[in-house]
Amino acid sequence: MFRDGLGTDKSRLGIKLYGFIDMNKKKSHMRVNIGGITLKNPVLTASGTFGYASEFEKLIDLNRLGGIIVKGLSLEASRGNPPPRIVETPCGMLNAIGLENVGLEAFVKEKLPFLKMIDAPVFVNIYGKSIADYADLASRLEDIEEIAGIEVNISCPNVTCGGMAFGAYSESAAQVVRAVRKSTTRPMMVKLSPNVTDITEIARSVEGEGADSISLINTITGMAIDIETRRPKLANITGGLSGPAIRPVALRMVWQVAQVVNVPVIGVGGIMTAEDALEFLIAGAVAVQVGTANFINPHATIDIIEGIEAFLEERNIVDLSDIIGTLNV
Amino acid sequence: MYQEKAKILWNNQAGNEYYRIGLTCHKGYSGAKPGQFIMLHFPGRMAPFLPRPFSIHRIIKTGGRTAGIELLYKVVGKGTKMLSGHCKGDVVNILGPLGNGFIFSNHYKRIFIVAGGIGVAPMLFLASYLKTKGTNSSECMVFLGGRSKDDLLCSDDFLRMGMKIHITTDDGSAGDQCFVTHPLETALERDRPDIIYACGPLEMLKCVAGISEKHTVPCQVSIETVMACGMGACLGCAVERKEASGNYMHVCFDGPVFDVRCLEL
Repeated sequence: MFRDGLGTDKSRLGIKLYGFIDMNKKKSHMRVNIGGITLKNPVLTASGTFGYASEFEKLIDLNRLGGIIVKGLSLEASRGNPPPRIVETPCGMLNAIGLENVGLEAFVKEKLPFLKMIDAPVFVNIYGKSIADYADLASRLEDIEEIAGIEVNISCPNVTCGGMAFGAYSESAAQVVRAVRKSTTRPMMVKLSPNVTDITEIARSVEGEGADSISLINTITGMAIDIETRRPKLANITGGLSGPAIRPVALRMVWQVAQVVNVPVIGVGGIMTAEDALEFLIAGAVAVQVGTANFINPHATIDIIEGIEAFLEERNIVDLSDIIGTLNV
Repeated sequence: MYQEKAKILWNNQAGNEYYRIGLTCHKGYSGAKPGQFIMLHFPGRMAPFLPRPFSIHRIIKTGGRTAGIELLYKVVGKGTKMLSGHCKGDVVNILGPLGNGFIFSNHYKRIFIVAGGIGVAPMLFLASYLKTKGTNSSECMVFLGGRSKDDLLCSDDFLRMGMKIHITTDDGSAGDQCFVTHPLETALERDRPDIIYACGPLEMLKCVAGISEKHTVPCQVSIETVMACGMGACLGCAVERKEASGNYMHVCFDGPVFDVRCLEL
């Protein structure tokens, strides 16, 4: 019965996809491959900014997305940090959500059935308090056929143990990736923190341990203070900065990493428009993740996909791969 | 839930720092409930960076059809300052209706509405909704509080609906010089209501919650927090449950209206 519902739903949602193809104009190829998975276009949703996708169902056609990366998942449910958790900053925001999530069991029971219906690869962003947690979670997800891949979060700045603590050093980053690699045959994306001395060193180290692709950057650690009360504006004191404020930093890091690794790089950081996404692709990213933009414009991912497509068609670029990593220096 | 470009129908000053703005909207807003809100953002602007939540003040109808929504807002910061400078015909991005509204039950006959300052914004919508539900207006009592007489809005609207109204101000420039919770408790002791609906500053809500608990009268409050998305994606609007147990609730999808017994104010 469920399978019937699934088929019907896909075809219903699929109509929009093929609704208007201009037969006179040659369609550019938007397909990209990120470490074993072909995406129909290079636009993914960034973890923690898109919930479990159902939140956006009424606003966009989820089947059009290149891929979906769901909210960071841990073995057990986590309540996250106390409020206030977010504060607006110039051209961006600080957040200290603290990886609030429903935990593996509720994810499988309550969130996965919806995700299965979407015709776009789903990646589960995982984090643990210990290396064993990461490995355990990865192996449990291994049994779930509908999960296309995992994104290993070694870069969250808002949890006291785990997260960024692992991603800050090559050795610990390598240990996590090694353990997860042993537990999963699925494509494994590793998300890096920008809060390090040399991101290329971490990138090389996770590539060496078998990462199939590398996504960067997670948020940049920051803070904001109320000058009247002299208290931090976030209960967690520090938070992760996201939005266009961090885009130039993310772009620079993507460019640096793309030059030293052979696995696909996925660019993340303040992408709001197709132009922003194209910068990352030219710098060497094979795909991009759209994060904070989803909060301001829930339709941002679709606007970006259409914008990239229009850019290619206007310039008679037949294949998106013809612009990836083509920075002229 | 609709994401759309809304045209400003009017943006009129309604007092010193207060404005009423009319916006075009999707006809689906005919199903909006009082207490629900929208997120509003200025197209293409980086400052303010995030959209801002506003509760729906009124549904605008022309010839029985839903033609728009009206918001009542106070200029408090960058976003509302910028909004006050917008004119008829300008366009803003809106997303809504969001969240859960006030819950009405047919056995609510005697109803108290408590509004402090700009907290009156969703309460006018609530009052007109109660009328459509067949509530006897003379059984509805509105407690309207503000810092001074300039902060008292909509009193005529409530009176026009046939509701009784108690006015209080902090400075005594209108009504009784006391907190709005004083006449609330006095009236409650005289004649128990079936429900209290409240929206206003946190301190006022805490006091209303205390009165509701003391007299075991059901109470629903509408609260506001900072939020980025308004639709359950950012999880920024966490609020503590009563007794601080279990997971957090979220204003945008668990609220913004809460049964006061569930919420740690």
